[in-house]
Amino acid sequence: MMNIVVLAKLVPDLVEELTIDASGAALDLTFARWIINELFDDHAIEQGILLKERSGGTVTVIAPDLEGADDVLFTAAAKGADRLIKVRSDFSAANNHAVARAFSAIIKGFQPDLILTGVQAHNDLDGSAGPLLAESLGLPYVGYVSGVALADGKFMVKKEYPGGLIAEMEVTLPAVFGIQAAEQPPRYVAVSKVRQAMKTSSIEEMDASDLDLSGAPEIERMFQPEAAAHAEMLEGTPEEVSAKLVALFKELGVL
Amino acid sequence: MPIRETFWNIPHWAEIAQYVLALLTALVFIYGVGHRVLRWRKGLPEKRSGHFWARIWSLVTQVLAQRRTLDEAYPGLMHFTIFWGMLVLAIGTALATVDWDVTNLFFGFQFLTGWVYILFELTLDVLGLLVVVGLGMAIYRRYVTRPARLQKFPTLENVSYAARDDAYVLLMLAFITLSGYLTEGLRIAVTQPDWAAWSPVGSAISAAFLALGDPANQTLHLIVWAIHILSAFVILASLPFTKLFHIFSTPLNIYFRSLEPAGALQAPRSEGGVKEWKQFTWKQLLDFEACTRCGRCQDVCPAYASGHEFSPRDVMIKLEMHLWEKPNGRALHGDVVSAAELWSCTTCRACSQVCPAFIDHVGSFVDMRRYLVVEGTVDNQLQKALANLGRYGNSFGQSERMRAKWTQGLQPAIKDARKEPVEYLWFVGDYASYNQTLIDVTRKTAQVFQRAGLNFGILYDAERNSGNDVRRVGEEGLYEMLAEKNLQALSRCKYETIVTTDPHTYNTLKNEYAWNGNRPRILHYTELLDELISSGQLKFSKKLDARVTYHDPCYLGRYNGVYDAPRRILHAAGCELVEVPRHGDRAFCCGAGGGRIWMEEKPGRERPSEMRVREAVALDGVTTFVVACPKDVTMFRDAVKTTGSESRIQVKDLIELVYEAM
Ligand code: SF4
Ligand code: SF4
Repeated sequence: MMNIVVLAKLVPDLVEELTIDASGAALDLTFARWIINELFDDHAIEQGILLKERSGGTVTVIAPDLEGADDVLFTAAAKGADRLIKVRSDFSAANNHAVARAFSAIIKGFQPDLILTGVQAHNDLDGSAGPLLAESLGLPYVGYVSGVALADGKFMVKKEYPGGLIAEMEVTLPAVFGIQAAEQPPRYVAVSKVRQAMKTSSIEEMDASDLDLSGAPEIERMFQPEAAAHAEMLEGTPEEVSAKLVALFKELGVL
Repeated sequence: MPIRETFWNIPHWAEIAQYVLALLTALVFIYGVGHRVLRWRKGLPEKRSGHFWARIWSLVTQVLAQRRTLDEAYPGLMHFTIFWGMLVLAIGTALATVDWDVTNLFFGFQFLTGWVYILFELTLDVLGLLVVVGLGMAIYRRYVTRPARLQKFPTLENVSYAARDDAYVLLMLAFITLSGYLTEGLRIAVTQPDWAAWSPVGSAISAAFLALGDPANQTLHLIVWAIHILSAFVILASLPFTKLFHIFSTPLNIYFRSLEPAGALQAPRSEGGVKEWKQFTWKQLLDFEACTRCGRCQDVCPAYASGHEFSPRDVMIKLEMHLWEKPNGRALHGDVVSAAELWSCTTCRACSQVCPAFIDHVGSFVDMRRYLVVEGTVDNQLQKALANLGRYGNSFGQSERMRAKWTQGLQPAIKDARKEPVEYLWFVGDYASYNQTLIDVTRKTAQVFQRAGLNFGILYDAERNSGNDVRRVGEEGLYEMLAEKNLQALSRCKYETIVTTDPHTYNTLKNEYAWNGNRPRILHYTELLDELISSGQLKFSKKLDARVTYHDPCYLGRYNGVYDAPRRILHAAGCELVEVPRHGDRAFCCGAGGGRIWMEEKPGRERPSEMRVREAVALDGVTTFVVACPKDVTMFRDAVKTTGSESRIQVKDLIELVYEAM
């Protein structure tokens, strides 16, 4: 019986316009809509459920207590997750170091065989959340995983490399995996099933220890892309334009 | 005096044998019918009582007068003749039985005597000929002209039970009719009654046998009579087990048909949709058994026409076969009906509109889709659309805060119905609000309303997709969620009438939302404009002088019967309307309905929208293809491009013409 824990990260929905807050060094998240990190953490949940369906076990999904977390957790329950945990703390301003430390303390208590999380998020592009979590749990980490399987008592994972190369490796559990893609795209859960899950399952709330924000780089300034240079339009008849073009090329020294 | 000599030339033993056989036949028949009825009763309950006289009237018009069947000349006439011929022969036989076995046996008199008898003979003799003609037409059609809709029936283990059954029925009916005539002819040949001339067909046949002479003819008569009687009993006994059963199941299905608005889909009767056949209601099971495999639905189905592996006829046949399969592990989903088939349907309802058995195809398809949705068997694009609808209330995946972005810069600004009372609450809909190519049309709609001096407002961010197509995809939970949110927003506004841009929205608001008895007046914008024109509130300043054709949106026309309002508007705007061959309740769907617009496109022969554009382009001098549904604008503009018809025809929303003519 495998004890699978999925750390489901939430991200601000990019459908809403992003604004910078008054400090000029962070996003203004007052009106942000928090949703599951669809590209990766949703796959981590799916992979956990697939593994459970295939090899048995329990799936515990843990999410930070942001608005939208209930939705993520109940949807996971509708897919087949057994235990739902919401971790309370002020996560909206936390960095990955703090998040990893906070969650590792809680996850340790579950004594999981494997921990799955999304390999990246748009607010964690270098994908440090997974490795930091592994570090703080003292467990091995494999990222960019696109398939896991338990066969003959061995735990095998598939890892994707650029250029379409795939490696298969045997991993000694417990370990942390950064999921790139589940073996199947995340399934659709009908609204009626989510509503059902809201009635039949419950979310346990846990408190994270005080966030330790140390170790992260400090952001000096955050800003919308600024147009550094603008394009110059060459106008006129085709002859004039080509003449200008030639002059321009000469000026630039390419002709 | 003319009198019916029942059992002339029939020895006593044969007469007795006939009664014994009749008893046996009755037993088999009752067993068979019981078997069927018990099967229906395995379905879930569904209320179909009430409206007694309306139901009886359906029987009169659709069974006795065969209205819908007669919509098509050849098959209509063919069926009409067989139906009435057989009915009269059956009544004749019943009368003869009463005459002999009741009145004569118990009361010692016969009523088939004198002129009554002559009339009886004449009617039966001539109407029998109707059957012969009808059967001839049927055999010729099925086996010589072979229209596609009577070919390629679904099989079970490679046996086409349907084709076999059809052949059996035609053969038996032909056999019983011809042997009947032969018996009659031989009887006349021997007895040569004075009134023989009143049986013209019988007399004509008798002429052929006169030369044989008496004893031979008497023996022959006995033999043919025996064959005739035997085949009659075989037919009767086999009736509940063959296609002939439609004599009962189809009228029953017509009697029990839904008298609710066509646009009101039933909520799921089994949680999680229909997974196995017992989760259909008894009425749906009756639907499957009422299907006569006539193929009319297939002929009008856009999904079938565009080359998908799907035909409503086939699904009905397969479902019917499945009801009777012994438990063999074949599952309804996957083995009997595939997900691809179920997703092909655009819910256009063209099939139900022509089905002579009044089968509700869409209802059953949606019930099965509901199961697919709960199982998560949806394609990626549909999944994305549903997820967006759940999260943002629109299929475009845009923020609900952007819903009214199209209003920016409009002067005067459109009223916010949440903040001030309005007379007309305009439910704009997703496509009209978010689709970039439609925003121009939507703004023109607003301007037309403004220029007509309408006191109207919109829901701004509070509007959600109405859920009409979400429901038809089978996502009932999401539909409920969307409907609840819309109803909640609407309940906080003061307004008198709701007007919609989208016929799909119109349908569900009007027919499906839970208004709890307080349903406001709900109009499609074409109905509203039509009203404004006839009341003089909206005036045109010029005549457009355009030759146009008009496409009836399924959810406006077939679903809600709005055919005339858009046509009157076109007329008032000075357009000359040239109808496409398939118009009104026969309009050919654009292919977007029932959530198909959100799904991945499967390769097929040609898209329904493209076929439709070709139909319009073929009209003489028509340069404008007018639609009254935002989805149609996108579907047909696309189809005009893919068919390379840009120089021939342009697609316009009706509102654009109104705007031009104002
Ligand atoms: S509703 Fe339309 S698409 Fe669906 S089966 Fe009937 S005719 Fe075909
Ligand atoms: S469903 Fe109706 S139209 Fe289609 S084949 Fe059966 S009886 Fe004919």
